[in-house]
This record gives sequence, C-alpha cells and structure tokens, in this order.
Amino acid sequence: MTTQAVRLEEEEYVGQLKWSVWMKVFSFTGPHKRYMAMLAAVALIVAGIDAVFPLIYCGIVNDAVRNGAEMQLWFWVLAYGGLALLAGVCFWSMIRLAGRVSTGVAHDIRRAGFRRLQELSFSYYDRRPVGWLMARMTSDCDRLSRIIAWGTVDLVWGGCTLIGVAVVMLVLNRQLALYVLAVLPPMILLSFIFQKHLLPASRRVRRINSNITASYSESIMGVRTTKTLVREEENLREFTDLTGEMFGASVHNAILSSMYFPMILSLGSIAGGLVLWLGGVEVVADSNKIGMLIAFISYTGLFMFPIHELARLFAEAQAVQAAAERITGLLETEPEIADSPEVLAEIEKQSATAPQAETAIDGLAERIDSIEFRNVGFAYKEGKDVLMDFNLSVSSGQTIALVGPTGGGKTTIVSLLCRFYEPTAGEILIDGVEYRRRSLHWLQSNLGIVLQTPHLFSGTIRENIRYGNLRADDGQIEWAAKIVNAHEFIMEFDDGYDTQIGEGGTKLSTGQKQLVSFARAILSDPQIFVMDEATSSVDTETEQLIQQGLAKVLAGRISFVIAHRLSTIRSADRILVIEDGLVVEAGTHAELIHLAGRYYELYTNQFAEDRRSEILKSQS
Amino acid sequence: MVNLMSSKGKVLWGLMAGQRMRYGAAIAAMVISAAVAFVPPLIGRATIDFVIAGKELHAPQFVKDFVERIGGRDLLVSRLWIPALVVVGLAAVGGLFMYLKGRWASIASESIARRLRSRLYDHLQRLPCSYHDKAETGDLVQRCSSDVETIRMFLAMHVVEIGRGGVMLAVAVPIMFAMNVRMALLGVVLLGPILVFSIAFFIKVKSVFKQMDEAEGAMTAMLQENLTGIRVVRAFARQEFECEKFAEKNARYRDRWRRLMRVMAWFWPLSDVLSMTQVGIVLMAGGYYIAVGTISVGTFFAFFMFVNMYLWPIRRMGKIMAELGKAMVSIGRVSEILDAEREDHADKVTDVGGPTERAGGDIVFENVSFSHGDETAVLNNVSLHVEPGRTLAILGPSGSGKSTLINLLLRLYDYRDGSIRLDGRELRDMERKFVRSQIGVVLQEPFLYSRSLRENIKLARSAAHDKEMVEAASAACVHDAISDFDSGYDTVVGEKGVTLSGGQRQRVALARAILKDPPILILDDALSSVDTRTENMILRALRRRHGRHTTLIIAHRLSTLMAADMIIVLEDGRIVQTGTHQSLLKQPGLYRRLWEIQSYLEDDLVKVEKK
Repeated sequence: MTTQAVRLEEEEYVGQLKWSVWMKVFSFTGPHKRYMAMLAAVALIVAGIDAVFPLIYCGIVNDAVRNGAEMQLWFWVLAYGGLALLAGVCFWSMIRLAGRVSTGVAHDIRRAGFRRLQELSFSYYDRRPVGWLMARMTSDCDRLSRIIAWGTVDLVWGGCTLIGVAVVMLVLNRQLALYVLAVLPPMILLSFIFQKHLLPASRRVRRINSNITASYSESIMGVRTTKTLVREEENLREFTDLTGEMFGASVHNAILSSMYFPMILSLGSIAGGLVLWLGGVEVVADSNKIGMLIAFISYTGLFMFPIHELARLFAEAQAVQAAAERITGLLETEPEIADSPEVLAEIEKQSATAPQAETAIDGLAERIDSIEFRNVGFAYKEGKDVLMDFNLSVSSGQTIALVGPTGGGKTTIVSLLCRFYEPTAGEILIDGVEYRRRSLHWLQSNLGIVLQTPHLFSGTIRENIRYGNLRADDGQIEWAAKIVNAHEFIMEFDDGYDTQIGEGGTKLSTGQKQLVSFARAILSDPQIFVMDEATSSVDTETEQLIQQGLAKVLAGRISFVIAHRLSTIRSADRILVIEDGLVVEAGTHAELIHLAGRYYELYTNQFAEDRRSEILKSQS
Repeated sequence: MVNLMSSKGKVLWGLMAGQRMRYGAAIAAMVISAAVAFVPPLIGRATIDFVIAGKELHAPQFVKDFVERIGGRDLLVSRLWIPALVVVGLAAVGGLFMYLKGRWASIASESIARRLRSRLYDHLQRLPCSYHDKAETGDLVQRCSSDVETIRMFLAMHVVEIGRGGVMLAVAVPIMFAMNVRMALLGVVLLGPILVFSIAFFIKVKSVFKQMDEAEGAMTAMLQENLTGIRVVRAFARQEFECEKFAEKNARYRDRWRRLMRVMAWFWPLSDVLSMTQVGIVLMAGGYYIAVGTISVGTFFAFFMFVNMYLWPIRRMGKIMAELGKAMVSIGRVSEILDAEREDHADKVTDVGGPTERAGGDIVFENVSFSHGDETAVLNNVSLHVEPGRTLAILGPSGSGKSTLINLLLRLYDYRDGSIRLDGRELRDMERKFVRSQIGVVLQEPFLYSRSLRENIKLARSAAHDKEMVEAASAACVHDAISDFDSGYDTVVGEKGVTLSGGQRQRVALARAILKDPPILILDDALSSVDTRTENMILRALRRRHGRHTTLIIAHRLSTLMAADMIIVLEDGRIVQTGTHQSLLKQPGLYRRLWEIQSYLEDDLVKVEKK
C-alpha cells in the first residue's frame, strides 16, 4: 500500500566496499567451494604462464645470437608448444569452472529467493512492485553470480600476473625492473580514477535510457489521447529534451572511455621507451643481453590488462554491492505471518503419529464448524484503520454477503479470514481457538478463493483446474467445470480441456477465466469458500446457472461473498454493508430492504444496472 | 542477400545525413592511429640493428638522410633516449588520434541515434489509429529502444573495428613483405583459419544463445506468474508445488547457461591456441633465421610485435560479423515503422482554420458509412444534425457503432462515404489538428500520463490558471478526492505514483476536457465507473454550462440520457430511433425498455414485502 515505506530505488550507490556484505556473498558459494578453489588455482597457473612466456622469447633470441646454427631450436619449439598447450587447457578449465560456479550460485540464490518469496507475507508484497522483485531474482542475481566467479578469476589472475611479472623482471635485471615498475603506480591510479568516473557515467546513461523507453511506451499507449488533445508537438518537444539529455550523457561517457585507453597506452609506451633507452645502453655494453631487452619490452605490454581488469573489478564490485545487499535483504527477511514455535512443535509431534481423518496436521480438529470475528480491527499503517471493531459469527452452511463501496473494507475482512494478514486488534476464532494457534498451511489448504481478476497460470485448462486439487482425476475436473457451467465453452475448443491458455490465460475472455478459476476453487473441496466479485464478467444467464449448481456445493461450508450481483447477495444468510471500515447495516435481504437505508440504495441502483446491461446485451 | 544489404546500406546512409563528415573524420583518425601504431616496432628494429648492433640502417631514404645529418649512429649510441623519446612521442600521437576517433565516432553515432529516436517517436504518434490497433506496444517499444541501441553500437564501435582490422593488415602486410618475404608468409599463414574459425563459431553459437535466452524467458515468465498470482498460490497452499515447478525452470536455465559456457570453453582456448601457434611460428622461424643469419634481431623483433598487434582484431572478427547481422536485422525492423504511412499522408487541406479560431459547434453527419477494411459496415448511412450548444445523447448496445461515430468526428479514422461537416465545412478538407482542437473528449478508459495531476488536467491548456483548474476539477467532482491526497494536485499518477480507481481516472479526464473549454464536448461512456450520486452531481455541473459546448454523450443510464436535447438509438450501425425523452417513451424500443426497469424494480421490492 505504501510504496514510500521501503527504499526501492534502483540507484546503485558507489560506497565503500563492505566486508560483511561480501562475506555473506561468498557464503553463497557453499556447495561450489571446491570449484572455487580449483578456479583460483587455475587462475594462478595462468598468471604464472603469462609471466613465463617472455622468458622463452628471451631464451630463443639469446640462443640464436650466441650459438648460431647450433641453437636448440627443438627445445624451444617444445617449451613454447608445451606452454601454449598448457595455457589452452587452463583457459578451457577456467571458463568451465567459472561457468559452473556462476551458474550454480545464480541457481542456488534464485532457488532460495523463490522459496523465501513463497513464505513472505502479503505486507511484504504490498510494499514492493512485482517488477522490483523480478529484478532482484533475475538481473541482480546474474550480476552477483558473475562477479563471484569472474571476479575471483580477475582478482587472482590480475594480482598474480602483476606480482609474477614484477618478480621475473626484478630477477632478470633489478635496476631496469625498478625503472619500469615506476610506471605502475600512475597507471594504477589512472585506471582507478577513470573507472570511478566511468561507472556513474554509464549508470546515468542507463537511467535516461529507461526513461526513454517509458516515454515510448506511454506515447504508444496514450496515442489516442495525444491525438485528441493535439499534443503531438509538445510531446515531441519534451521527448527531444530527453534524447538531448541522453546525447549529452552518452557522449560524456564515450569521451571519458576514449580518453582512458590512449592514456594507459601512452603510459605503457613510456615503460617501453625506458626499456629501449636504459636496456639499450646495457645491450651496447654486452650484446648477450639482447634477449633480455626483448623480454622486457614484452613485459611492459603485459601490465596494462591486469591493471585494467582489476580497476574494472573494483568499480563493478562497488556497483554490485547494492545488488548483493538487496538479495541478502530478501533472503534474510522473516515472514511476518508464520506458524508459532508451539504450533510447529505440535506439527512435528503429529507427523510422528499415524494421520487420522478427523485430526488436522496441528493436532486439532480437521473440521471447521464455526468462525468468529471478535472486535477485529486492522490497519496497514498505524493510525489509518481500514477496519474497526468488527464482530461476526458464522457457522458451517452459512453464506455471508459483504456489500459496500470500493475501499470500504470488504476485501480486508476476507484477507484477514484467509490469514493473508493478521488482525491488528481483536481475534479470529476457529471453533473457539484463536487462529494464530492453528497451522497456517492447514487453514490455507482449506480455502477456496475466486477473485474478480482471476489469475491463471500458463498451461492447459485441465492443469489450471487441477491446481485446486493435484490428485484430482479427469472425471472430477469435468465435474467441477460442469458445476460452474464452464464445460460447454471448454469443449468448444479444438483441444477441449487440453487447450493451452497462454501466459496468464490471455486466450480466454475474462468471464471464461472467472469460470475456470471458479471450477478450480470448487475442485479444492474447501471448508471455507470466498468469492470476491467472482462472476462479475459472466453473463446473467450463466450466472444464474452457476447459482443453481453452487447451492449444492456450498452446503456444509462457510462462504463469504463480495458481490454486486444481486442474485448472489439476495440468497445470503446474512448481508453486511461495510463503509469506511464499519458495519453500517446488517441483516437479511428482506430486513435491509425494509430498512430503506444504504442497502436499499445500493440494491436499487444495482438492480437497474443489471437490467440495463441485460437489455443492452440482448440487442447485439 | 546482396540486394538486401544494399537496401539496408541505403537506409543507414540516409540515417547518417548530417554526420557523414564527422563520421568520415572518425574513420580517418582510426586509420592514422592504426598506422602510427606500426612505427614503434620499426624504431625498435632500427635501434636494435643499427644503433646497438651497428649494422646497416633499414629505413626510407629521408630517415637515413635525417639520421646522417644529426650525427649518425655515433650520436645515437650515446643518446639512446632519442629513439626512446620518439617511441613515446609516436604513442602519444597514436593515442591522440585514437581519442579523436572515439570522440568523433561517438558524437556522430549518438547524434544519429538521437535523431532516429526523435523521428521514431514523432512518427509513432502520427501513425493512424488503425496502425496502432494492430501493433503490439511491447514490440514497438522494443524496436524503438533495443533495435536503435543495436544500430548505435554498430555505428559507434563495430564499423570502426572492422575497419581497424582491415587497416592493420593493409599496413602491416606490405611492410612485412618488404622486410622478408618468407617471414611475412609465415606471419600470416594462420590468419585465414583463425578468421574462418571465429566466424564459423559465432554462427554456430547463435543457436546456443537462443536456447539460453528461451530458457531464461521461460523462467522469468514463470516467476512473473507466480509473483502476480501469489494470492492464488497462498489460497490453495501450493507453495511446494510452485517451488518444484520453479526448480525445474531454474535448473533448465542453469543447464542451458552451462551449455553456452561449455561451447565458449572450446572457442576461446582453441582460438587462443591457434593464435599462440601463429605467434610461435614467427618466433621459431625468426629464431632459426637469426641463427642462420637470414634476418637480424631487429627484424625478428619487428615481426614479433606486428603479429601480436594484428591477431586480436582478426580474432574478434567473428563476433563483429555476428553483430553486423544483428544490426542489419535491427535496421530492417526500425525502417518498417518509419515506412508506415502517417495518418495525414493523403490529406488535402483546402480549408485552413486560423490558430485561434473557435468553431461554432454545428455538427452534421450526412449518409455516413464506415467499415474497417473489408469487414461488414460498422456505420450504415448515418445522418444527423446537432445545433451549436445542444446536447445529443447516443444509446445503443455494444458494437452498434457509437464509438465509431465519435472516432470519425475526431478523425481518428477516415470516413470515405458521405459527408461530415462542422459549421458547414467539410471535415476532411480541414486540418486534423484544427478539428481535434475544437473537441474535448473523455473516453471510458481514459489515459493519464505518469506525471502530476496538475499537469494531467492542464494538458490541453498549459497556460490555464490554477483557479480555473480547481473549478474544472470541482465541476468534475474530483477536487475533493485530489485534495485528500498527501500532495494534492502534485500527486504523480500512473506507474511511478498513485494508482487511481477507474472512476477517479474518468473524473480527472473530465476535468481535463472541461478545462480545455472546447466548442464540442464528447463523453464516450465516460461516467460508467462513477457512482450514481456523483454522476448526478457532475451532470448538474455540466448542465450549468449548458449552451457553452455542443455535447455528445454516449451513456446507458437514463438519468444521463433524459436531459439531452435529442436522443438517438443506434443498432447495428443504423439510427433506429430519434427523439426526445418524451417522444421516445411513447415508442416501443430500447429507450422505453430502459425506462421500464423502474417498474420491474418496484415489482421486485413488492415481492420482498410479501415474503
């Protein structure tokens, strides 16, 4: 409800690297530790190989110069070939291992995240749009897993190559090495400074880009409004500002990165020049050192890549840290509504004994005879009550109808009943037992809910109805479909019950989706039936047929109906008119009509509305 | 294929208009920086052979002359910092041109992208409604965002990189052959295979990428379904079932990803080994030739550096070719949008209305028929006349052509048969812009932009005073609701802000139309989500403005319809009844049946009494 309550910004801030966050991140590698160790080892070997190659160049040249035709060419061919082959094998295993670790870690985090999302309370969902949660589970997850694997490679390889190269150079020629290494600090400094600036620059580009995308989609969806308001030119002007901003940010970013490489290369050439000059002087004195000169020039070319990679890694790590914090935040959030320790202990105890039909998993009675709301109140935010002092007692076989304006609190009552939320005041009793002392899973397995905007899953119609009872056979599925009058339209499809309904059921009309979700609820054989505007998009005729079938189904169950449809309301045992969180009228249809108050008004309006849509529909 | 490429090339060339010079300069800078990069190895060679080893100087005549003039080897051998400084200087020059290349290429490509984005945006809002009816928003947005990005990347980086590879070879090969033919041959012996391998790989890997994308798509879709349907999952306590389903998609995505990594794990090392072999060949042959005295150490050094320089661009060629393919596809997809004709492409405006002109509001439809494509007629020979300031109510079942009537008047669709006149002037002879600016319309599902309520209401008249805005909002009965929001009129609506109910949206749109104060006001089932009490208040407010606008109301409630000066009943695209409240009550038909509901209701309530 209150989007502002949680910081949801996608903004990644560049802050100090936090040790605690990365410790947690590395704990995700748990089952892949062995591969991580191997990966680090391979990266180390690659660094070693990189540091050794120039020694071969040095050796060949020295050998050729000193020994002429007597040189050991085959020895060098073998040494070089062997090293190249080893490098190939190492690269191969490095990619395999890093791939293994990153995909494995991503998979594990997603699995844990998904499980956690199944447990978290609706209050968690209310504060976070689905898109936000999706981004945590997809892009954040991928980035994090990538940096875990490839970051390790870069860190080990980059660090060790730098060290290895420095050591070999120092051994070969200490004085020359010290001159050359003097180029390193500015190079490192420059790399880090640039990466620090490049990252926010590219992020800014991304942010503007997503604004541009949003503008496109708004302009396409609102194209009629634009045309009728003759807004084309103003829209374009505003959009041009946005593309101008994009131009500025992108060019700034591109220019920054086109400065970076030339500067690093120039610094590298200074090292090369130093070698040519000071090394050259040594070779003039001793021509045997020509190999060393060539090796040194190769080494000066080797610096740049590890430094570049390390700088990039640190910049990236700062960016990914925000993603890491969001993911660990998700995984560490405890569901607000969950079984209490006592209930869990009871479930544990019960699972040891043989299951009995009349006993629920928490050891209490399976059967629900009555539900009582006692002085129940609820507020999403402190001080903003959406339901106050609500009292109601229902026993099995009864139907309660809730009517009243949108936002009055009808859906809140039902959500509390389903324990999607828990009362902030008062209590709800199932057969005299406070429902927080019962198993959540047990209660929710006994619910059958049909919502106005029915949510179906991609797959076949059969699969969707079976969602209500995974063990149901085809006969039972058809039975449920027939009760809600869905059988006919289903059989009109070429594939009948095996028709694929598309993502979210896009191939069905809203009315058809409502029927399928109704059949699904009936199949689940619930003790508590909740219908929230369940047949609002179904035509009157079908609606009446459903009512007939439903009478049998609802026998012996507790049902709650939120509806505009009069046929549904009229037959309820008790009708509550809810306004601004309070019950303003209560009674049977006849009683409330006599009262000639709010219900009377609602009823007469709705009566006209129903008739009207009937008349207008029958014409077409 | 060649034809296709050339037509795409033409599109691309067209897009580059205005930036061609700068783009050309970027390519020239790239050529210079690539060429300059080959000089330092040659200086290294000369330094090693001539200065250090004291052999003959291999260089162009003017360099030799210059070296002699400044003092020859004797001077250089004691001042080795001179060649070193030249190397650093050349690197700086090369770097400068590299920077200029990056700068110019990015400014050029970003300018092209900026223009393309704006062009697409403008074109989309000027395409006819019939185009938007058929197109999918997601697909259009994708074309405008990621396809444009692909084209931009192609221009900014890939073209230049392909060029760079070519230039490098073009510079290096002649120099190498001039130095030593055999070594030169050995130096390029594996280039062909590396290039072929790289390209072949990226063609093959495309399908693996696609499979991974599909697996990712399946997983994301399942996740999305679960999260949006989390209430259903809880209501049936299906958490375990969902976890298992997700586990399967999750594992599949992981496995597809791993498969891609396995393929990659072959490509890079193999490509590496091939490249290292090429370097090895130069290294070993060079070592041998030094040993037998065929080439000097300096020549060896130059060859060795050259090979390392041109190998990398060649190896990347496969990836770039793959990008080239993608860019061609993107260009095609973008030009599909740009090639669609704007709604005004065939307009012949002969009757230009002045910018501040206010129409009188006299509307005439004469024998108007309309159909979408070759479907059956949506409107059939409709004729009607509404005088300025009068109210016309339109009643009819869904699909009877009510909205089409409105859409023709707004010129959202083009009528072909019959005549529609505003103040006696034929609609199709006037500018669409002019016609639309005379009409304020509120749709059943109005669209609000994701900005503040203030901006939304003032869309049609941004210069309006806040007082006028509040008046309009009060007339539309939405002022109180807006004042209840924490930020009042500054509340942002839509994706980034508060979600309004259907009724609230309708009322905001009504306020917008009222503020526009047009000669013609159209309410297309615009109060359907507003409750009856509020509706009556709105109608009273509108009645007070009676005479200011010619009003067209599509509605179902009698309360809305009965006050109109004229009511028409549409069925199957024809006007079947015309009259006033009183006259229609006297005829059997839709209107009277709606009126009779009242007596049904009384019967129903009597039944309750009897029970």
